[in-house]
Amino acid sequence: MSAPIGSQTANIAMTAGMPPKRISRTRRATFFSLVGLGTIVGAWLSFIFLSENGMRIAEWALLLVFIPLYYQLNVGFWTALFGVWLMNRPKPDPLNLWLTLNAEDYEQPITASTAIVMPVFNEDVTRVFEGLRSIYLSLEATGQSKNFDFFILSDSDKASQWIEEETAWLELCRQLNAFGRIFYRKRRKQINRKSGNVSDFCRRWGRRYRYMVVLDADSLMSGALLTSMVRIMEKNPGIGIVQTFPKQIAADTLLGRVMQFAQALYGPPFMAGLDYWQCGEANFWGHNAILRLAPFIEHCALPPLPANAPFGGHILSHDFVEAALMRKAGYAVRLLPTTRGSYEEGPPTLVDMLKRDRRWCQGNIQHLWLVFAKGWHPMSRVNFLHGILSYVSSLLWFFFLVLATYLAATPTAHQQPQAILAEQILLGLTAMLIFLPKTVILLDEVITGRLFKPLKLRLLTFVSSLLDTVVFTLMAPVLMIFHSRFVIYTLIGRSVNWVTQRRKIDGGLNWSEILFTFASVTLLGLAWAALGWFVSREFLIWISPILFSLVVSILVAALVSGARSGRRLGFFLTPEEYDPPTVLKTMQQNLEEIKDRVQLPPELERHYGLMQVCLDPYVNGLHVSLLRRRRTIDVSRSYLDEIGHRLITQGPQTLSAQELKALMHDTDTVTNLHYRLWSAADHELAAFWSIAIRQYNLASTSPFAHTLAKQELE
Amino acid sequence: MEAVNIQFAPATGTEEAWNEAYARLADYFRSYQLHNRIRRTQLILETLRKAAEAHAKDPTRTPTAHAIEQARLMLREWLGTIYSDLNLSEAQLEATGRLGFHLAGGPARWPQFFLDEKNMPDDMAEAMRSALRTSGPGMQVSKMTPRDIDLGLIPDVAEDTFGRLGRHPILRYSVLFVIVFSVLGYLYSLFA
Repeated sequence: MSAPIGSQTANIAMTAGMPPKRISRTRRATFFSLVGLGTIVGAWLSFIFLSENGMRIAEWALLLVFIPLYYQLNVGFWTALFGVWLMNRPKPDPLNLWLTLNAEDYEQPITASTAIVMPVFNEDVTRVFEGLRSIYLSLEATGQSKNFDFFILSDSDKASQWIEEETAWLELCRQLNAFGRIFYRKRRKQINRKSGNVSDFCRRWGRRYRYMVVLDADSLMSGALLTSMVRIMEKNPGIGIVQTFPKQIAADTLLGRVMQFAQALYGPPFMAGLDYWQCGEANFWGHNAILRLAPFIEHCALPPLPANAPFGGHILSHDFVEAALMRKAGYAVRLLPTTRGSYEEGPPTLVDMLKRDRRWCQGNIQHLWLVFAKGWHPMSRVNFLHGILSYVSSLLWFFFLVLATYLAATPTAHQQPQAILAEQILLGLTAMLIFLPKTVILLDEVITGRLFKPLKLRLLTFVSSLLDTVVFTLMAPVLMIFHSRFVIYTLIGRSVNWVTQRRKIDGGLNWSEILFTFASVTLLGLAWAALGWFVSREFLIWISPILFSLVVSILVAALVSGARSGRRLGFFLTPEEYDPPTVLKTMQQNLEEIKDRVQLPPELERHYGLMQVCLDPYVNGLHVSLLRRRRTIDVSRSYLDEIGHRLITQGPQTLSAQELKALMHDTDTVTNLHYRLWSAADHELAAFWSIAIRQYNLASTSPFAHTLAKQELE
Repeated sequence: MEAVNIQFAPATGTEEAWNEAYARLADYFRSYQLHNRIRRTQLILETLRKAAEAHAKDPTRTPTAHAIEQARLMLREWLGTIYSDLNLSEAQLEATGRLGFHLAGGPARWPQFFLDEKNMPDDMAEAMRSALRTSGPGMQVSKMTPRDIDLGLIPDVAEDTFGRLGRHPILRYSVLFVIVFSVLGYLYSLFA
C-alpha cells in the first residue's frame, strides 16, 4: 500500500481510523447472528404453517421469496435497535470518529488543502450559487478557510443555463471577493455523467489537494463540520472516505416534509446502527462526504461493466463501487454520525421520487456484476447485495402477494394447533419487526428530547410519527409496484436517461402527470380486488390495506405532492425548521430576496442566459473569455453561420438545444452574434430580439445580479 | 467635462433610419451600464457622426449597422491602448476588455472616460489590466486510469448471453414472451 498523503501528521499510526479487526468481527458476528436467527425463525415458522398438508410448488416458491424479505426486515430491525442502544449507552462508542479529535486538535490551524467540488447538471442556478455562498460564508466564519477551494463542475447542456452559471459565478466571486477561491469549470462533453465529471476534476487538479469534499447541487454543509471532517482525516490516515449523514431540508410539500421528518427522527439511530456493524467498510453515498484524493485517484477510477446499458456499460451508482474500491485499496470507509451541519434536499413529489428511484434502481441492479468479482472485502459484497435487495425486494414482495393470492384461491385447511400457533407467532413477530424500531425510537425521543426539548414539541413529534405511518403505509404498495417495474425494465434492457432532478414544485399540481403515472396502478388495484372477491372474502380483507393503497394511489400522489403539509398545525416539524442553522438561514434569506427581482416576459426569462450573452457586452465578454481557445471547431463555419442567422431572424425557440450549444461553443460566433444583433434593423430581427433589446436594460441594474442576491461584503 | 459640440448632418440615409440608429445606439450604450446620460449622449452623437461618414461611403448598409460598427471600432481602439502590452487577438481583446471594464467598476467609477482615448486615467487602465480573471487554477494533471475488475466466470457467461440477446431484439422478446406465457400457462393449469 502506498503512503497516504495525510500521513504527515506526526505520531499517528498509518492505519488510524481503520477499526480493529477484533471489534469489527465481534460486532458483525453479533449482528448477523441475530439477523440470521430472526430470518431462520421466520422461515421455520412459515414452513411449519405452509407444510401442514405437504408443500406444493407454489408454497415452496412462497417460502423462497419470503426468506430474503424476512432477512431484509431483520437487517432493518437490528440496525435500528443497535443504533438506539449505542445512542443511549453510558459509555460512548469506542469507534466513534468524533472521539479521535481532542480539544487541542480544534485549536490547530488547518494546513491540508481541500477542494470542495459541486458537480451540476442543468440545476437551478440561484439555488446552486446561493447554497455555495452560504457554505463559503460559514467556512469563512471558522477562520480556517484559507486552504479550501471551491469548484463548480458544470455538465449543463442547456445554453441559457450555462451562461447563467457563468454570470452567477462571476458575481458571487465579485461579491465575496473570492476570485482565486471559487472556480468554475464547464465540460464540453459529459462523458460518464457525474462520476466522469468528478474524475475529470481529479485528473486536472486532483494533485493540488489532499482532500476533496463532494457536494450535490442541493447540498449544504456548515463550515464547522467541514473543518472537523478535514481534522478527522488528518488524524486518521487510514481512512479513505468519511461519509456524513445528510439531513433533508427545505421541503415544502407533504411528501418532502414527511420524508425530512422521518429522516430527522429515525435517521440518527439507523446511522448509529449502520456504523455499529459496517465499521470500516461503510458506504459512500456520492455527496456530503470527504475523500482522500491520492488513493481515490490511484484506485477508484471506474471501469465500464460488460454488456451494454442498462445492465452493463457505465456504472451509474458509482459511489458504492468507489467505496468498495477504496476499501480494496486498504483504506477505511467510515460513517460520521452527525445531527447538524450536513444537509440536502429531497424530491418534492411522488413522481419525482419515482424518477430518482428509477435511476438508483438501475444503478444498484448493475452491481450484480460486481458481487462475485474478485478482491472485494466481504462487507463490500454485502453492501452491494443490500443495495440490490433494496429494489429487488419490491419484486419479491409482489411475487409474494401473487403467490398468496393463488394459495388463497386453492386453500388447504389448517387445523393442526402447531400450524395455527406458528402462523400467529409469525404474524406477531413480523409486526414486531416492522413497528418495534419505530416505537423504540419514538419513546427514546419522548423521553430524552433529542430533537426537541419542549414537551409540546415532543408530543407533536409523537403525533407526527403516527401520521407518517399512515402516509408510508399508503405509499409503500405503490412504491412496490413501481420498483418492481423498474427492476423488470432494467432486466429487459430499458435504460434511463440522465435528467435533471427537480427539487421544488414549480406552480401547482401536475394532474395530467399524476393521472398518467398512477392510473395503471389504480386499475391493477381494482382488478386485484375483483379477483380477491371471487377468490376468498377472508383473503380480500387480509390484503385490503395493500389493495386500498393501490386503488387510491392517484389521490395519495396528489395529496403528498401538494403544499398542504401540516406545517401550520406543527406536524412533521424538524429541528432545522424550528431553529434553522446559520448556513441554512443565510441561504433562505438570500433566496427570498431573489424572489423580488424584476421579471421579464416569460419567453425572455426562459432564454435569459442566451439573451444576455448575445446582447450584454459584459456577459458576452465573460463567456468568450471563459471559452477554451481551439484551433479547430467541431462543426463547419457555414453551419454555424446558418444557425446563427436563424437565431437572429427567427428567434431562439426555432433552434434545438444542440444547435444553441454549438453556437455557444465557438468564440468567433459568440462575438459576432453580439454585433450582428445590435446592428440588425428592426425588421430583420425576430420578435424575441426586438422585445429583448427594448426590455433588457430595464431588467437589472447589473447584468450579473439576475440570479443572485445582492449581498456585498464590506 | 468637454463641451458637447458635434455637428451631425448626414448626407445620406433617411431621417427615420438615422432615428432608428440613434435609438439602437442609446440602448447599446445603456447595456454598458453607463448611467451618466451626458456621457452617453456625447458617445451617441460622436458615433453617429462617424457612422454618417461611413454611410456616405457605403450607403448599401443601414445607418444602424454603420453606427454599431463604429462603436465597435472605437471600443477596439480604446482597448488596444489599454492592453497594448498584452498579445491578444481581436476577439480576446474585446472580450477581456469589456469584462475588465466591468470588473474594475468602470461603469460606476469612470463612466466619463469610457471610449475616451485621449483622457485615460492611469488608475482606470491599471484596474482594467489587473482585472483579468481565470475560471480555474493552474492544472496539475494526474492519471486516473480504471483498473480492470476480475468479474469471474458468471459475468462472462452473462455478458455473452446479454450480448447475443442485445444483438437480436426478436430473440430477446421471444425469450421474454416464453417466460411470461409459461408462467401464465402454469397458473391457468393450476386454477383449471
